[in-house]
Amino acid sequence: MDLLSNKWIINLIVCLFSVGVSCNSVEKKIYVHLNYTVPCVRLLNATHQIGCQSSLSGDVGVLHVLQSEENLDWVLSSGPNPPYMVILESSLFTRSVAIKLKNGSNRVAGVVVVAPSTNPVEGFSPHTSCPNENSGVYSESYDPALAHCKETVWNPLGNGLSYEEYDFPIFSLKDDNDTAVIRQCYLDHNHAVNGSRPQYPLCAMQLYSHMSAVTDTATCMRRNDINFSISPEMVCDPLGDFNVWASTKPLNNTEKGHKMGESVVIAAARLDSRSFFFDVAPGAESASSGFITLLAAAHALRNATQEAPPNRTILYTFFQGETFDYIGSSRMVYDMENNQFTVDLDNVHSVLEIGQVGLRANSRLWLHSDPVSMRNSSVNEEVRKLINNLQSAATSVGIPVAEPGVSQALPPASFQRFLRARPIPGVVIENHQFNFTNKYYESMYDNAEYLSISYPPNLTPEEQLEFVTETAKALTEVATMVARALYVQAGGAESQMNSINADPQIVSQMLYGFLVRSNNTWFQQLIPSDLASHLNDRPTNFYVGVSQQSSEPTLLVQYLLANLTGSTVNVTQDNCQNQRVDENDKESKHTFTYMWVQGAAPPNSTERAGFCVRSTVRLSRAVSPAFELREYTSKDYSTWTESRWKSIKGRIFLVASHELEMLTLGVGFGVLLTSLLLTYIISSKADILFSSGREPTSATY
Amino acid sequence: MNLERLPNEEKLSLCRKYYLGGFAFLPFLWLVNVVWFFREAFVKPAYTEQLQIKTYVKRSALGLLLWIAVLTTWITIFQHFRAEWGEVGDYLSFTIPLGIP
Amino acid sequence: MTAAVFFGCTFIAFGPAIALFLFTIAREPLRVIFLIAGAFFWLVSLLLSSMVWFISVQISNKESAAQQKGLLIFGVVLSVLLQETFRFAYYKLLKKANEGLLTLSQEETMPISIRQLAYVSGLGFGFMSGAFSVVNILADSVGPGTVGIHGDSQHYFLSSAFMTMAIILLHMFWGVVFFDACEKQRWWAVAAVVISHLLVSCLTFQNPEYVASLVPTYVVLFLMGVWAFYSAGGSLRNLKLCLTCKDKDFLLANHRPR
Repeated sequence: MDLLSNKWIINLIVCLFSVGVSCNSVEKKIYVHLNYTVPCVRLLNATHQIGCQSSLSGDVGVLHVLQSEENLDWVLSSGPNPPYMVILESSLFTRSVAIKLKNGSNRVAGVVVVAPSTNPVEGFSPHTSCPNENSGVYSESYDPALAHCKETVWNPLGNGLSYEEYDFPIFSLKDDNDTAVIRQCYLDHNHAVNGSRPQYPLCAMQLYSHMSAVTDTATCMRRNDINFSISPEMVCDPLGDFNVWASTKPLNNTEKGHKMGESVVIAAARLDSRSFFFDVAPGAESASSGFITLLAAAHALRNATQEAPPNRTILYTFFQGETFDYIGSSRMVYDMENNQFTVDLDNVHSVLEIGQVGLRANSRLWLHSDPVSMRNSSVNEEVRKLINNLQSAATSVGIPVAEPGVSQALPPASFQRFLRARPIPGVVIENHQFNFTNKYYESMYDNAEYLSISYPPNLTPEEQLEFVTETAKALTEVATMVARALYVQAGGAESQMNSINADPQIVSQMLYGFLVRSNNTWFQQLIPSDLASHLNDRPTNFYVGVSQQSSEPTLLVQYLLANLTGSTVNVTQDNCQNQRVDENDKESKHTFTYMWVQGAAPPNSTERAGFCVRSTVRLSRAVSPAFELREYTSKDYSTWTESRWKSIKGRIFLVASHELEMLTLGVGFGVLLTSLLLTYIISSKADILFSSGREPTSATY
Repeated sequence: MNLERLPNEEKLSLCRKYYLGGFAFLPFLWLVNVVWFFREAFVKPAYTEQLQIKTYVKRSALGLLLWIAVLTTWITIFQHFRAEWGEVGDYLSFTIPLGIP
Repeated sequence: MTAAVFFGCTFIAFGPAIALFLFTIAREPLRVIFLIAGAFFWLVSLLLSSMVWFISVQISNKESAAQQKGLLIFGVVLSVLLQETFRFAYYKLLKKANEGLLTLSQEETMPISIRQLAYVSGLGFGFMSGAFSVVNILADSVGPGTVGIHGDSQHYFLSSAFMTMAIILLHMFWGVVFFDACEKQRWWAVAAVVISHLLVSCLTFQNPEYVASLVPTYVVLFLMGVWAFYSAGGSLRNLKLCLTCKDKDFLLANHRPR
């Protein structure tokens, strides 16, 4: 038997015993699969589709490594082997290049952006320059002078790339091995020396990111509902997750709607971010800096609110999906209006929101408020009180704070959705007076490096977790300030103020956990065992994702908040997991949440000592009311959906010239025709050919 | 069934059955009729029943052509305008293609 | 690559086999049955050798490259010997079957001669082994890529197709020579078939030096073809007669006794 069949046997056997594993050695000779690919996916709203997609069978193009913008000429007009798969450094991924590629898309099979190891100095934001322009409070009817970022463009670096539609796949590559293979393949086969035509075989790449949904949310939701075909198929899912909230005083969560005599100060922060690519959304400055500050403040307030409870309740809320037209906050306001939430809007005394506060090198914090609602004197008075509280708290900590000036609109903030419902007094704390100081708003560079979270070399992960960085110290100060202001705002005694202090250790551990590595010993202690496998060695991805399951940040913030604001109670694991103190307890589940968490392993033992945490932490749905109301063309609520897809993958290989392919086909036809002719002749003359005198009758063929 | 072995009367009755069956929105019966009885109707030497078979075959062919015309027109219109019709187009579709309007 | 390569390679590998099947086998049901039975016998031999291969791979040391190479050679030799054993078994079975057919048959002569059986069963062996050696490669020839990203020759598909064509034809010739040798009890000829089969199989160890494996294989193919031609009753005289088209009266002369 020949070797080929032998190989086949080996393959057959390997296949039988490792089902599901690619086991084809011929395939291995042809293709190199990319290990870690990050795609850009399609999102849809009421009117548009954005993002990228490939054809169903993947887009194939000859590799071309783009050296400069002028080099685009080769791709778009002069190159002899279109379509091209354009490989570019992320510094070249600018608006002008992207739009040129988009317009020349008949010669572009796809784009691969190689992620750099350092952030671009000049800044980069693929987001719009006026985030959530149409879903905030500033519409033409609210105040025409402030609508559409007329007087302050919040994100001037925003080039809107994330909100364009591309009909080719765009991937980001991180793994250095993959990019090395691609570059080598390009240099070996495709590199044109002095403008000459590169010779076949050429190095090519195939990218798969076929998206099921198309046109807009109304279309895809309708197609989700049509299920009379043989295999009904979902094509898109609403973006959404869960908001996390907790109150300083236990509130009966079973009774929804207005709570008599209850006055609530909402302390809010946003929990999500995004970038151009699907699962890279580090959101260090845009999301983490705010909610880590709020978590630290909540922790600082735990003792004070228990020992000397202020007369108002503080409600810590962490809103999900705010990047996509305020999904979380609009849902909470909607629930409050419809008596679906524990309190309603009448209970809300004021709102304090913490925005981007991470980058503050010696500069001030800015207290933004809404000029329109402050024309009402009572609202104005309450806002002034809140600002005074904040200022005195800031003075006590030593942070300079200021107001940006009366006529300026609020920056993009969840608080805008409360204002849309009614004029509620509130302040948004930011580190910018006018436009964002954040150079990388909603981009993949908004990471730990940007917040200058770096550790001395030679630290073990455990030591890095404990190491208090300058950023952590700065955020701790902000957290202390927020905590003190909240305490006074809730009606606590100002004399107590100086005893409220945030813990820099906790802040640095959270920064490490969210921005460097969520799989660390501290997080492991604070979560239940079934979530331990969710932790990984990468920075947390803050993209909100679809509403089917809770994302990693929601779960982490939920358990962190429970541990930082709740208390350990002596309850058995079984009772704890059934939300009760003992077998007869049927009441406490209405006011408290019980969580059984892993705990730490005592020294000289591997068994973790779990314990029960009692807190007021709850989750509430953060799915846009548009999907509740089935108004998929809603102008009031977020309508963002994410398309489904079957496979996201990429591979590189060589392609043969057209001539060689045609030669093979020609030889094939030649062989077939020749053998047909020969066989016909031989078989028709078989009698003569194969007859020897001795056996005339047994002529064979 | 081998037509050669059938007596002429049965050929005629068979042809008539196929012709009438086609009216139950079954144009394929007409197609079969045309293909199957074409030789009987037009090639074979004349016999008594041939005239009637000829009529049936002709009418079947006519009906078939009509069906083809109608179906082709509808399929062309549907494929061309399905995306434009939006909701109506989706409800008229049995399987909706993924990723295209 | 593309569909063009797929069809090109399919035609190269199976073109001669398809032509032979269409013109000489398809019309006679008995030949089709014997062809499929031959293919089945080859499959059984493959099953046996793959079982042995599987066990020995499990036993062997997977780290040692030398041991793996040795194992591969052992596998090839074992598989060749098993295939030839099954060819012999099939020959024995056909002899028995032929006797049975003769008793059943009303006519005096056998419905199918042992030479025809040799040819048909050889082609059956060839079909199956060809299919098994090339189907896997054909499946990947459709995809957009061609072999070579790891530095292999891009003529992999083409040479595999030509190799498969040679293997199919060789199996046919081996069948004819082998059965003839068994009929005449010329054991040295049987040995020659086995040795040439071993030789061709071991030639594929030359890959990826495709020239080094293809050229000797085609030399062996030519030699075996000539040998098979003679053992099937052909001769230079017949060939001359055939080529010069002086066969009219010969044909008549030959047919008259029937």
